[in-house]
Amino acid sequence: MTPRGDALARAMRVLLPCFTVLVLLYLTLPSILIVLMSLSDQTYLTFPPPGWSLRWYRTMTEDTSWPQAALNSFVVGVPAAALSVVLGTQAALALTRGRLRFAAIASACIVAPMLLPHVIMAIGLYPVMLDLGLLRSYTAAILAHAVVALPLVFIIVSASLRGYGESLELAAMVCGAGPCATFRHITFPMIRMSMAVGGLLAFATSFDELMLSLFLTGPGTRTLPRLIWEQMNAYLTPTIAAVATLVLVLSLVLLGAAALLQRGRIEGSAP
Amino acid sequence: MSSAARGAPLAIEGLAKQYGDVVALAPTDLTIERGEFFALIGPSGSGKSTLLGAIAGFVPPSGGRILIDGDDVVAVPPYRRNIGMVFQNYALFPHMSVFENIAFPLRLRKASEAEIRARVERMLAMVRLPGMGGRRSNQLSGGQQQRVALARAAIYDAGLLLMDEPLGALDKNLREEMQDEIKQFHRQIGATVLYVTHDQEEAARLSDRMAILNHGRLVQVGRSRDLYEAPRNAFVASFLGEANLFAVRHMTSTGGGLAVDTREGIPLAALRGPAGAINGAAVMACVRPEAIELARPGASGLDNRVEGVVDDVVHAAGTVRYRVRVGDGFAITVRRPSRLQAEDPGVGERVALSWRADDTLLILKE
Ligand SMILES: Nc1ncnc2c1ncn2[C@@H]1O[C@H](COP(=O)(O)OP(=O)(O)O)[C@@H](O)[C@H]1O
Ligand SMILES: [Mg+2]
Repeated sequence: MTPRGDALARAMRVLLPCFTVLVLLYLTLPSILIVLMSLSDQTYLTFPPPGWSLRWYRTMTEDTSWPQAALNSFVVGVPAAALSVVLGTQAALALTRGRLRFAAIASACIVAPMLLPHVIMAIGLYPVMLDLGLLRSYTAAILAHAVVALPLVFIIVSASLRGYGESLELAAMVCGAGPCATFRHITFPMIRMSMAVGGLLAFATSFDELMLSLFLTGPGTRTLPRLIWEQMNAYLTPTIAAVATLVLVLSLVLLGAAALLQRGRIEGSAP
Repeated sequence: MSSAARGAPLAIEGLAKQYGDVVALAPTDLTIERGEFFALIGPSGSGKSTLLGAIAGFVPPSGGRILIDGDDVVAVPPYRRNIGMVFQNYALFPHMSVFENIAFPLRLRKASEAEIRARVERMLAMVRLPGMGGRRSNQLSGGQQQRVALARAAIYDAGLLLMDEPLGALDKNLREEMQDEIKQFHRQIGATVLYVTHDQEEAARLSDRMAILNHGRLVQVGRSRDLYEAPRNAFVASFLGEANLFAVRHMTSTGGGLAVDTREGIPLAALRGPAGAINGAAVMACVRPEAIELARPGASGLDNRVEGVVDDVVHAAGTVRYRVRVGDGFAITVRRPSRLQAEDPGVGERVALSWRADDTLLILKE
């Protein structure tokens, strides 16, 4: 190797890890900053905080609007996730096991809400919900969130179904299992971990969603992201950072649970 | 356990399947006797799985009837046909133990716990897996998994067992061992078996009769020996074993035989014309490599005689294969038993080939 190529290789060995660390910092720094800012003893958002305290966490619980918004997030998120799991699994079954003529187009339509800007869906849904008299109701937010969370369930469950092929189900049928028995004894045990992972990610999606909530919820049904947004405009107190920190912790727990389930799924399945 | 009487006869009438313009199975008739071991062979894509799938109920046929024990089952869903099936990739349920896999059909049939236990244990002993019931299927070897699949297919006394290349994933030695086991198993349970394979030797070892499929068409049905000795056409002749094929230009009757003029320029003597030949149909002559004798040039030989130069000699497991060039770009394959003989002709030597007139098989081209 030429001396020049040698120097380049040595430089790469140093530069690559540095670059990697920078990228990782860039990805995680905002989250770390939020946690630090929530521990400030000042009455405004600042970094770095001159002193430390936990008072903003107390303020958060004393102001009833925060616990109410958190509750709303669950009231919207849990049914939205459940709906996504049921519909997403059915769609995955139909498109991977059924021999449908327009399977590719149907797949694209199901996945589209994940890729389209939420604001477009929000603008489209607003008049529809208004007409139906559902605007500012939980139902409106649940339906809208289910639409954007469903693709996750669909993708994860489809991958799982493709992973083991249809011969297990055919074998069960030959053995005498009708469609329901085949689903109960074979398909469901094979995909339940993927359904659970999909459900967790669907809930996380709903829990994090702002745009649809801005358009479709009202003062009584507003979710945490929406309240954070409103408070950001009004007062920039570290309370917001405290709330954001809790949202962050919950999201991490959900992702951790999903990762654990995913690992169990892989270890528990056949080679 | 009762035997022989348990098998169900299978009759297929005009069964066909099309995928759009692709004819996966042309209208097909086939009758399989009660308790018979019937093999279905053919190259990949010839429609074997399609035919099996139609009988199992996974592939809705485009037309025709499927009679199991006399009843047309075309409109019956797969889970009510009471057929047993073994898949190439085993298709064992990975989340169930070996015991539960085999018990699955009995549980669906609401058998009592005691009966399930007794029958599964007996079946485990029969497939030589006693005491293995608690294992998970992914803890078993390929051969063991296939035996579990066999046990699961047979536990509910189905009259008809379908097997789609069940040994395709195993290596050669294990495959031969499993062939003997399957044969033994068939004798014990007495069910009718329809066995798909692309391996003609496997089909010959296992089956009473076989059918050859090509391009979705049933070409010939019969015992392995019949198909080998009297192939209907060139495809059957070369699919079952090796064949030296000659394109026939025309045939003339001689006293007690036929003089055949071939495109390869080698005159042949034959005894009988092609069976069921339609006037004008293209005819070929087929000579099996082991029917040909090898001698020094000039030696007196049999009815057919041709001289050539040895091109290639391969010794393999008890036989010697010679390729003998007999004219421009045409070579004849000869197979002789391998013996300790000093005077085996070597590459480049001139030899005389000869065979009897009744070893020149005149068959259809297609
Ligand atoms: N689901 C399907 N859609 C379209 N063509 C198919 C389908 N299944 C099989 N075929 C076609 O039917 C023919 C026979 O296939 P198959 O029965 O699987 O053959 P084999 O089992 O003998 O290899 C092939 O040409 C194959 O491409
Ligand atoms: Mg096949």
